[in-house]
Amino acid sequence: MITLRPHEKLLYRATPRRAAAGRRTRRPAGQALRHAGRVFAAEALKQHRRSFGSKLVVFSMLIWPVMQLAATYYTVRPLAATPGIAERWPLAADPGLLLAFLATGTLGFTFFFSLVQSAWHFSFERVTGTLELLFLSPADRLVIVVANGFGALVQNAWLFTCFMIAAFTVLDVVHVAHPAMYAVVFLALLVPAIAWGAFLNSVLIFSRDSAFLYTLLDDPMWFAAGVRLPLFALPGWIRAAGSVLPLTGSLVVVRGALLSGQTAGELAPELAALAGLSALLFAAAVLALRLGEANAQRTGRLRLF
Amino acid sequence: MSVLSFPVQVGWATFRRTWRVTRRAYPWSYFIGTLMLGVFTVGLAHLGLQAIGGGQVAAGFTAATGSADYLGYITVGAAAFMFTTHGVLWVGKALIEEQRAGTLGALLLAPARRLPYLLGFAGFAFTAIALEVAVLLGCALALGARPAAMGASQAALAVLTLGVAVFGMSVVLGGVMITAGEAHITQNTVFFAIALLSGFTFPRQDLPVVLQWLGELVPTTAAMDVIRGVFTTGAGVPPGRAAVAVLLGLAYTAAGLAYLPRAERHSMERNH
Repeated sequence: MITLRPHEKLLYRATPRRAAAGRRTRRPAGQALRHAGRVFAAEALKQHRRSFGSKLVVFSMLIWPVMQLAATYYTVRPLAATPGIAERWPLAADPGLLLAFLATGTLGFTFFFSLVQSAWHFSFERVTGTLELLFLSPADRLVIVVANGFGALVQNAWLFTCFMIAAFTVLDVVHVAHPAMYAVVFLALLVPAIAWGAFLNSVLIFSRDSAFLYTLLDDPMWFAAGVRLPLFALPGWIRAAGSVLPLTGSLVVVRGALLSGQTAGELAPELAALAGLSALLFAAAVLALRLGEANAQRTGRLRLF
Repeated sequence: MSVLSFPVQVGWATFRRTWRVTRRAYPWSYFIGTLMLGVFTVGLAHLGLQAIGGGQVAAGFTAATGSADYLGYITVGAAAFMFTTHGVLWVGKALIEEQRAGTLGALLLAPARRLPYLLGFAGFAFTAIALEVAVLLGCALALGARPAAMGASQAALAVLTLGVAVFGMSVVLGGVMITAGEAHITQNTVFFAIALLSGFTFPRQDLPVVLQWLGELVPTTAAMDVIRGVFTTGAGVPPGRAAVAVLLGLAYTAAGLAYLPRAERHSMERNH
């Protein structure tokens, strides 16, 4: 850990503009890409080493989501096996499709919640003192937060994703309009999730307490995003709150494409909204990193927790 | 000092200490986190009942549970689940928290026995959860849930049965946690497993037979049948299931207490 002596601290604080200017020196495009690639690879490798220390991760990666999915299915099924369900919610009339509906919800939640966890872990960098070192390094800040989220996502979601693909194949519930829709589904989960991760990571530059993330984004997220209930079951104000969560839009696209066989054209409004929300989250991440870094340079608080 | 009064003192002192610590530095996020799971589970049931079930529930559910009140059924289950997780988080994690704070060694040197010490924690956990359960029941009543009418003694007996079951599980888990040196994976795996096996939010008859039998291995399953008999159907405490729950809970407690000295030794040797 680098410790600045009092007079050095003064110097460091007195020249934030120069420090910031040095960082923003434009690199040629090829060099910038190579730089981003190296930062990306290093951050992803760090994530891998951090989280794969023990075989116990298989519990959080596969066993927990599967048990939770089963419990949710058994809880909701008595409501779906009622007379007149075909008019209220046609999809739920088929138990296999109901299970697939809840499974897509669990899959989406696994994607987005793994980024909440990664942001929580990212805040440990502050405790161990390495957050300040990251900001003293020449590595691009946005690349770091994006790579951190991407690394966490790939590590935490691959096993459950493979399991889900196998389960959908066995259940034979997926009927897509065109094979290319698989790519649309994949991107509709991946891109907003990474934007979400970058946003959460960058916001934590401001906050010393990250435990609130868990409280705020676990139960309320599955409730408002339609993970275990169709959106039409939620009252308007909860739907409005849920619409700011990218998970909500992702699930609409994933379920529309996989379970209802909708085409990209039919899903265009949802895809456009999702793209807009992702762009907004990335922009907010860039802004939060700029402001957060400037604030940290002024206050020297990046090491305090 | 009589033979009996020393263990009582240990339990009472632990109870008072934990209450005092909590009163002075109350973890509100803990309170909110425990409460939110219950509230959102009841909220899900309420919205699902209106929009998916059209205000009614499948005939199979009524036949299996002896009640057509889906919302009341989920509310009782969610409150019992909060009670269970709270018990495990305080009683089961008591020893690993001592280990993390660096006071496990001092506890081993003290003349206090484990049983009264852990009973002190149980006393705290089961009184502190009353506030959360009251808030949850208040929300559920506002949404229209109507738990079955029951006598106070029956209700107390059912809650006590669940308490014994949870205590037994927690003593064993306490030993597992200090042996493994971690709590996160253990506690969450247990929570997800009992949520599936013990019939908190759906009748266990819906599960595959293998899982139904697996559920019989944990004492909360029989205890939930007792809770259902009193709070859901209103038929009263089923004596057979109550006996199973209490005996299984006591067996877990005895096994846990027999295992704890080894677990403590193992944990001290590893950390030094």
